[in-house]
Amino acid sequence: MKAFSTPKLLRSEYDIALFWAILALLAIGVVMVYSASIASAEADRHTGFHSTYYFIRQLVYVSAAITAGFMAFQIKVETWQKIAPYLFFAVGIPMLILVLIPGIGKEVNGSRRWLSLLIFNLQPSEFMKFFVVLYAADYTVRKAAFMHSLTKGFFPMGLVMILVGYFLLKEPDFGALVVMTAITASILFLGGLNWRLFVILMALLSVAFVFLVIMSPYRFNRLIWFWHPWADPFGKGYQLTHALIAFGHGGWFGVGLGASVEKQLYLPEAHTDFLMAVIAEELGFVGVLFTLGLFVFLVWRSFAIGRRAAALGNHFGALVAQGVGVWIAVQTIVNVGVNMGMLPTKGLTLPLLSYGGSGIVSNLLALAILMRIDYELRVSPRVRMS
Amino acid sequence: MKFDPKPQSRFNFKLEGWRSRVLLLFLMGWFVVLVGRDMYLQGFNASFLQHKGQERYSRVIDIPANRGIIRDRNGVPLAISVPSESILASRENVDIDEHQERKLAGLLGIDVDELKQKLDEGKHNIVYLKRQVSPSVADQIMRLDITGLFPQRGYHRAYPKGEEVAHVIGFTNADDIGQEGIEYAYQHSLGGRDGAKRVIKDRAGHIIEDEQNIRASRPGQDVTLSIDYRIQHLAYRELSKAVEQHHAQAGSVIVVDSLTGEILALANCPNYDPNDRHHLSGAQLRNRALTDSYEPGSTLKPFTIATALELGKVTPNTIIPTTGGVMTIGPARIHDTHHSDELTVSQVIQRSSNVGAARIALSMNPKDMWNTFTDAGFGLPPKLGFPGETGGKVRPYRTWRPIEQATMAYGNGISVSLAQLAQAYTVFANHGMLKPLSIVKVNGPVSGRQVFSAKTADEVKTMLEMVVQPGGTAIEAQVKGYRVAGKTGTAHKVSGRHYGNHYVASFVGFAPASNPRYVIAVMIDDPQGAVYYGGEVAAPVFSVLMGSVLQMNGIPPDDPGSGDYHITTKSDAAEDT
Repeated sequence: MKAFSTPKLLRSEYDIALFWAILALLAIGVVMVYSASIASAEADRHTGFHSTYYFIRQLVYVSAAITAGFMAFQIKVETWQKIAPYLFFAVGIPMLILVLIPGIGKEVNGSRRWLSLLIFNLQPSEFMKFFVVLYAADYTVRKAAFMHSLTKGFFPMGLVMILVGYFLLKEPDFGALVVMTAITASILFLGGLNWRLFVILMALLSVAFVFLVIMSPYRFNRLIWFWHPWADPFGKGYQLTHALIAFGHGGWFGVGLGASVEKQLYLPEAHTDFLMAVIAEELGFVGVLFTLGLFVFLVWRSFAIGRRAAALGNHFGALVAQGVGVWIAVQTIVNVGVNMGMLPTKGLTLPLLSYGGSGIVSNLLALAILMRIDYELRVSPRVRMS
Repeated sequence: MKFDPKPQSRFNFKLEGWRSRVLLLFLMGWFVVLVGRDMYLQGFNASFLQHKGQERYSRVIDIPANRGIIRDRNGVPLAISVPSESILASRENVDIDEHQERKLAGLLGIDVDELKQKLDEGKHNIVYLKRQVSPSVADQIMRLDITGLFPQRGYHRAYPKGEEVAHVIGFTNADDIGQEGIEYAYQHSLGGRDGAKRVIKDRAGHIIEDEQNIRASRPGQDVTLSIDYRIQHLAYRELSKAVEQHHAQAGSVIVVDSLTGEILALANCPNYDPNDRHHLSGAQLRNRALTDSYEPGSTLKPFTIATALELGKVTPNTIIPTTGGVMTIGPARIHDTHHSDELTVSQVIQRSSNVGAARIALSMNPKDMWNTFTDAGFGLPPKLGFPGETGGKVRPYRTWRPIEQATMAYGNGISVSLAQLAQAYTVFANHGMLKPLSIVKVNGPVSGRQVFSAKTADEVKTMLEMVVQPGGTAIEAQVKGYRVAGKTGTAHKVSGRHYGNHYVASFVGFAPASNPRYVIAVMIDDPQGAVYYGGEVAAPVFSVLMGSVLQMNGIPPDDPGSGDYHITTKSDAAEDT
């Protein structure tokens, strides 16, 4: 056991760089949501034709999320670990069931994703992502001894996720399922799940995919239509072609903040799922690169914190930190991939940036815990044996 | 359920570092792919995507050119373009509730069903809800704040003098293209050329950015007419009065400057208000003075006489036998209303003797008469540019039979328009020189065409002066203080193949006779009252109008001693056919 030595120079008790990166992403989000939503808010009766409708709400959401984050930061990681299963089973899953009940769940555009809570709508699947991170980490720590076992290590978690997946597909919210599956699989993998299982799983998926292509080119084409959006630019390719035009119009340096043409009612969902297209148009390749860079930094920090926690024996913290990183990374990759026409449209928002209260609050709760883990490593640099 | 946060065995648990690194590498790999894809989209493939974008939101739109103003010779505006708005709807974006629907329909002046039909039917997304509404109405409509509606700036033609100059000015259609009158004739210079620019539009159709100017708009040129609005005003007023008084079917009047051929006034009845063209009938629309030809009757006699004088067949004092006012050619008979056995050539004009004119005509070659008619502009449209200008009808002389030659001498079997007649009379006002008509203002002297020698023309002028003297047919054409020359005409209208009981009464004359300046031709079609002779129906219009025109233009009187004309001789006037 090697004693941990603190450098003489005063080290911050917090990860300041991470903190500013998060704030920077939130700030870019608020500005871009405003820019992207002005035209559509002005033209919409439901917003009362107020151009600042989404802007003001996003400001409120971000303020609430930061407050929630500060509160979450006060709670010890140990406590989070204790309540993780309860959050998952006693809060998360009941909410996923409640949202499906007509009258309680609110339906928008054919999806039943929101719980109407008088002054705001709550999206359970966003919070469930957070609970999944905590629960999967807790589960993995508890089942550490069985991680090599298919039946004892993989199946219990697998069954729980199938249940969650069932509720999510009922909404439907396929995007959330993809993110949660990725989080769970990643945490199990990090926790030592037999890697041969993974290889076999991937191989099976590949075979199934090839089989699909050979058996039914038609269905295959329906699945990959987004590779050829220009074949039907006014039908199902409408949204994607407009997103791609936004990227092209932006060029290397963008057309300037506020100058997007695509947001002028052409590109649907410009302030939510397709916010990155507006960033690309107004701020150009440079703006996209900067935004993605902040995300990369955030993910890299979460993995660094996770590995440090692992080295110091805080297994739960290590898995949660990396789970948060996977969450942010996967959701960003899928969202931007959709914007750029590399993945089929799935209805996933850009973390921290896209318009929406539940997503941002949930993101900041997770990032607050990430910072808490880091904080605990810094202030009590003693190896915790458990 | 109880969850023990500690591992469930004493197994020494350790997270393997390679797993974390593999996962992070995998995720970072994806970010690299995203950046690569972004470089492709925003860099290498950008021009293709930009081109596609242009197709979607870039549009070429017209910049409407301001149409030229039409003015009278003194600068009075007769047709102007005022800014107006058109209300368009992008149907797929329209979002309207019932309350708004009712208000909008009210402002557009249509009923709600019609509005719904406009918004729901048709294959184009962008439709005109209403063209040419005033800016204030457009403003009210836009303040209803209906999504999908937008205004388009344009110009709307207004005619300040309304019906008074309707037939001269004409009007434009909804696309600002001239349809009638000067608006049609001078479309090319009035219309200018619309400009074009490329703009970026949002999905609802609003212009959000000007991209490039493709072509500047060239405003239309103003047109200054020969019309003198003051005279036009009087001409229209006097004509309307006469048409109403005599319960006539129609009427026309034309005032010409005999020195330049400029048309100073041209009016017809019935007419229309160019500012409100609902319920417009063909009869109202016709510019009769130019488009309708009729048998001129006796107003043509001076040309027959002038031809004979020119050829030396007669002199003003040659005695023409009129055989009691009846003449037989084959099976046909020609009558005079005035029964005399012989008349001098001058008296043939003064008393308007058909027999005398016919006998003089038969002493000449048909070709000589035909040449005179053609030289005087009959049979050829005056080419002012108006739609439907008629040239009248003069049949080729080779086909003339003697009876036809005889009747043509007094204006039957030939047809002319009132404008042609006025133009032809400039010959007698200008010592034999014809001045072609012009509807635009003429600067400087106009070269004419010598039709008769000055001597012949002046001799005929003297005869025409006798017409308004006691013993002539048009005492009522006299103008106090001025010497007047002119000729009446009362022609039977042809209905089917026969002459019915309907007449066209006309008078063409000029003044002051000592130094002629103005030619005025008046035609009243089918007067229904007790009188129908040109001397009674048309001559008074001439008299009032000529008097006003002479005074208005400060023409010095050339017969200061003349008094009121003699009402007592009125019965003598009714001798014309």
